[in-house]
Amino acid sequence: MGAKRTTPKRTRHKKAPTELVPRRRRPSRPKADESGILQTLLDQFTPSVVREVEEEVHARLARIPTQLNEFGYDPWGLDIKAVESAMVVSALLYRYYFRVEVFGIERIPEGQVLLISNHAGQVALDAAMIGAATVLEAEPPRIVRGMGEYWLPTLPFFNEAMTRTGSVVGTPKNCRDLLAAGEAVIAFPEGVRGMNKLFSERYRLQHFGYGFMRLAISTNTPILPIAVVGSEEQAPGLANLKSLARLFGMPAFPITPTFPLLGPLGLLPLPVKYRIYFGEPIHFRGDSDDEDSAIRKKVARVKREIQKMLDRGVAERPSIFY
Amino acid sequence: MKRVLITGISGGQGQLVAQHLLTAGRGKYKVFGVDRKPWPGRPREIKMTVADVRQRKFEDVIRQTQPDTILHLASVRHFRVHPAVRHEVNVVGTKKLIEFAIDHGVGQIIINSSSYVYGALPDNPYYMDESFPLSVTRTYAEVRDLAEMDMVATASSWRYPDLAIAVMRPVNVLGPHVRSAIGKYLRREYVPTVIGFDPMLQFIHEDDLARAMIAAIDKQVRGPFNIVGSGAIPLHTAIPQLGGTAVPVPEFVLRRIIRTFFQWGLYPFPAGAIDFAKYQCTLDGSRFEETTGFEPKYSLAQIFADAHL
Repeated sequence: MGAKRTTPKRTRHKKAPTELVPRRRRPSRPKADESGILQTLLDQFTPSVVREVEEEVHARLARIPTQLNEFGYDPWGLDIKAVESAMVVSALLYRYYFRVEVFGIERIPEGQVLLISNHAGQVALDAAMIGAATVLEAEPPRIVRGMGEYWLPTLPFFNEAMTRTGSVVGTPKNCRDLLAAGEAVIAFPEGVRGMNKLFSERYRLQHFGYGFMRLAISTNTPILPIAVVGSEEQAPGLANLKSLARLFGMPAFPITPTFPLLGPLGLLPLPVKYRIYFGEPIHFRGDSDDEDSAIRKKVARVKREIQKMLDRGVAERPSIFY
Repeated sequence: MKRVLITGISGGQGQLVAQHLLTAGRGKYKVFGVDRKPWPGRPREIKMTVADVRQRKFEDVIRQTQPDTILHLASVRHFRVHPAVRHEVNVVGTKKLIEFAIDHGVGQIIINSSSYVYGALPDNPYYMDESFPLSVTRTYAEVRDLAEMDMVATASSWRYPDLAIAVMRPVNVLGPHVRSAIGKYLRREYVPTVIGFDPMLQFIHEDDLARAMIAAIDKQVRGPFNIVGSGAIPLHTAIPQLGGTAVPVPEFVLRRIIRTFFQWGLYPFPAGAIDFAKYQCTLDGSRFEETTGFEPKYSLAQIFADAHL
């Protein structure tokens, strides 16, 4: 049973109360006189490409409405300055490494939408590139909210990074809440099966989970099929050692020509050219609690749309690298 | 006039609800109290008995006061006693309270559980609703009595047509009077945290919780309810708000240190509590808000301003 204290003790902390107003966000381009010599030097030597990308990302993000509280976080832990720093890196990869080309990005509808894409490449750069495309190229710009693999939040730093940049664990409740808030949510129904597929399986869609379809129907959300061409060759999977994966508690343990041979560096992808195709949004109706067989047909339709775009993209491209 | 018996009335939250009930409306409620400790300086209108839920005398209190409502706040949340005592008070005490209530024709019981019963797990969604399983024992076995108390109460909540049992699961409570686990943790000068993790936390002001409890009394609600304040912020943002400094430590080191310190009585929480500094245990409070019309009054900034001692 509780204490009998009726008046608060006021002697616990001798320190002055810290400010309650959250600290102002650092402007992306601090003026030299307020940030010291080091910052001035840093600014001097920041390559102009980086500076341009920083400015562009800042301007694009400023146009996106977010529901931040008085401390600068949205209800799912998104922090716009973390999004900005991550987006600068993504944008540099987008422009200069993968030289991404997008098709049909104007098809992203307003308000709640479920983006469904193929997934490959050992590391989730396809998600990052779709995210960069919707910030840099979509009109109006959108921040896509990722549905993460269940084991990601158990990793220190990954946990923090994914939350702050707007991703959440891919549970149905999270997805439903984000859609209800009018967000664009991205999911990869292939999951780990796709991410760690072998090189011989490239551009062959693996089994799609059904959860996304039930969610789309029950929340009356349009599904936008997306095909990413390029990602499936960025880190050719030669084998997937399931027993090692179990040992390390990972969902997969891929062997590529460079990983684990070169250590973590071996996870660096090849400089393939990315082409991202956005399909027409599809509205599915029916009963979200329907039998699997009925849901399967609807899922197959989405899968077909993506496969069609993939096949076209692969057939039409002049090369893997340009 | 509703007769309300508050168990654990001498605690911070108990005193607050009692005072809120007195000022809520002249003659709307008659407040009785029972606690292991007396409440010096309590208002004259409140009649209280010093008794322990484990004593026979406790049933006498219910018989004599003939309450319409029992607000059950008496539970042990700290670890300074033997686990058997926690079990006896929290689980057996709650079971008996329900039996007594049935025997003496009490119409309503409100039990104060906690958001912690859901547990902090890596696959927790944000904003869990009341249908989520109570999984805290998966990683934090020391508070199994709290989860069991909640389950006992929730399971009985629909069983008796004449007795409405409501189970309140408030998020982290802060305020100048109440002594809560989160307050004890965040008010340390150096707050141990886990490197690479920064979960979102929800808070509710003690006054808002008192108002929520009165709303539950007035609306005669049944079943489990998440009680949520306004907004959520990361742990490392909350710590400086209460004047502390976060000390991030790698998890395997932290677990070892806390296990040892807890054993020696130098740290108030067992190692199982570490998960609450890693993963969010954030709740969806819409069911309670829609049922009762309750709305928190305090913003996050106001909660911290008030809790900063």
